[in-house]
Amino acid sequence: MTDAGSGIPDSTGIGPADRAGDSQRPNSGGDLAPLLGPGSQFDEFFNDPRWALAVVRATVLEAAHPQIGAALIDNSTFVAHPWRRLHNTFLSLRRMFGADDNVRHREAARLNRLHARLNGTDARDRPYDTMDPEARAWVVATLFESTVTMFRLSGQPLEQRAMERLYAEFQAFLAVLGDEAGQLPATLHEFWRYYDRVVEEELENTEAMRIILYKLFDHLPAPPLLNGLPTLWAVGRAVGGPVIGAITVASLPEPFRRRAGLPELPGVQTLMQSAYLAVGLARFMPDGWIQAENIADMLALSPDSDDPRARTVRALHQRMKRVGAFLRLVTPFAPEPEPGAHGGIQRGAEEFFREVLDQTGDGYLDWPDLAAMARELSTRLDLDEPEETRLYNAYADWWRELQSALDADGDGRVSAQEYATGAPSLAGPALIRVAEVLFDVTDKDGDQRIDADEYRSLFQTAFHRDTTATGGAYTRSAFVKDFLSFMSGRQRSTPYDPLLAQA
Amino acid sequence: MDGNGRWAAQRSLPRTSGHRAAETTAIDVIEAARAAGVEWLSMYAFSTENWGRPSAEVDYLMRLVRRVVRKHAPLLHARGIRCRFLGVTDPRIPPALARDFADLMTLTGDNRGLTLTVAFDHGGRRDIVEAARSLIRDGVPADGVTEQTFAAHLPFPDTPDVDLVIRTSGEQRISNFMLWQVAYAEWVFPPVLWPDFRAPHFLECLHAYRQRERRFGGVPPHPNGELRS
Repeated sequence: MTDAGSGIPDSTGIGPADRAGDSQRPNSGGDLAPLLGPGSQFDEFFNDPRWALAVVRATVLEAAHPQIGAALIDNSTFVAHPWRRLHNTFLSLRRMFGADDNVRHREAARLNRLHARLNGTDARDRPYDTMDPEARAWVVATLFESTVTMFRLSGQPLEQRAMERLYAEFQAFLAVLGDEAGQLPATLHEFWRYYDRVVEEELENTEAMRIILYKLFDHLPAPPLLNGLPTLWAVGRAVGGPVIGAITVASLPEPFRRRAGLPELPGVQTLMQSAYLAVGLARFMPDGWIQAENIADMLALSPDSDDPRARTVRALHQRMKRVGAFLRLVTPFAPEPEPGAHGGIQRGAEEFFREVLDQTGDGYLDWPDLAAMARELSTRLDLDEPEETRLYNAYADWWRELQSALDADGDGRVSAQEYATGAPSLAGPALIRVAEVLFDVTDKDGDQRIDADEYRSLFQTAFHRDTTATGGAYTRSAFVKDFLSFMSGRQRSTPYDPLLAQA
Repeated sequence: MDGNGRWAAQRSLPRTSGHRAAETTAIDVIEAARAAGVEWLSMYAFSTENWGRPSAEVDYLMRLVRRVVRKHAPLLHARGIRCRFLGVTDPRIPPALARDFADLMTLTGDNRGLTLTVAFDHGGRRDIVEAARSLIRDGVPADGVTEQTFAAHLPFPDTPDVDLVIRTSGEQRISNFMLWQVAYAEWVFPPVLWPDFRAPHFLECLHAYRQRERRFGGVPPHPNGELRS
């Protein structure tokens, strides 16, 4: 493998001079700007609805990599909070492939810090490290390959030039992350050999892959937008879940299907190709109907937010609620509502454990759950160092406090049962410290008050009525008190619920 | 909606069949009101005092109301009627019924035709007490309490004052019905029992109302409608 220097392999023959189509774009920034800014091949594909299928496929292939699979199982919130995760992914992609070089490098640094915190050992005691260059190259490889496959499966394969250009863009993506060129083969020709080798030799039938294929879609929680329609969601999911699983399996490389022992169902190949074809047709809808990013945002946006788009979401949410009300009224045997299912201000211990504490959805409270909270908060607040580390450290201290107070059987993690028994002792000094650090990092201008803008960046909504009484700002003591009543009193809270509890 | 029990007794039927017969009247009156251009119609279905009835009858009423609500929900919505339920706070109301009420309100909330307010588990005094509590909770100073601010704290504050109250079966009492809103209402007391009450009776009542001279405590010329010259 040759060192391609700037990350653009010479042999692809695509230098700045070749890009006639977008030459009017000012060629500012470094060498990478032309590859990753607007007008890139990726940018062109970004809103293709087939991405929904391709990304699922790419994620399965990533999860089948032992290192990545182990990292996902331990740390990812995609089981319990898939919509928030999707939203964050799109935000990150937008920054990485956006026009602004500074934003891109800042996001790359953030991703690196985020991943540097994720390492450990898998179920068979093999170490994993998300900074491992080979694993990172594989993530980019699956994204590239799934994009190519997405076009192939829907009957319009990419031309060689477009494919090469796309490959160069993904190489540049990896280069922005700071990885040395050469982790991905220099030429597209070599790439396919590399890809086949990894598929044949390295991929495994990992637990993470099985969860994505067989569990995620069967248990996918409703996005906030559809919260009012649990029955409808459950019915749609019961039909859709297995279909998505089957389609994804059918689209995986044959050698891997054989080795991982994945089932071959009659007719699924046809179903899979029809699905790609049908979803592909959606791109002929009027411009702007399908904006992948808008859809991801809308699904994740809470109707309580005061984002400008929230008005649309709210209107949609109202309509959804009306549909739900109508369906319930005309269903002959509507189920009896569960008493107090959503009404109470205070959650049950088990409910709080499931909705807020167990961020990774594995049934246990462990460091990765609290790290996921710290990660979500620092993403929201767009923290730099050293604030980010301060927040993580506060959470780490809290974890030690929780562990010593709650882990009765000494297995290093806290079960729902252990939590329910020891819940009253949750508000120790370390939790108060978390609240204070969170206040400090939210209070960007350091005036000891959280003003409307700072509040909005954390909660994505404006002040609520109860805080305006205090003169339009949020004081440290009020902030700490609210945080504690959410975390330890298990109070439902308008600002914190969308932040940490929502799917 | 008085006279269901007497209607049944006259026919030697159980009281429950009187309640059942009331459903037809209710739907007939809603339709007549809509057709006559009435914009706000309120019906007193169940008072806070009605909980004192025998529990078998209360249970029957709860089931009946639930059945009626579910049966007519699509029709009410299709007719552009906005439905609301005034009261509905007592924990004895079955949760399933309360949810149907909430669902019907959600479903029809954006309709702009007739607004139908069904007073269920309603008491006029309780609403006034609730408004007073709400004022105090909001810290409104004594001088800030006017008729307008007070009315704004009543449930469904957009409901205008009641113009006409029709009380069937010849009963002539207020019975704790929307006390604040009926301050200047005209009253008519048709002798007919509620299960026998039909659209023509309703139109007669509207006609009687139009003949009245409404003074709102002042001196005459404040004609109601264009019928007077």
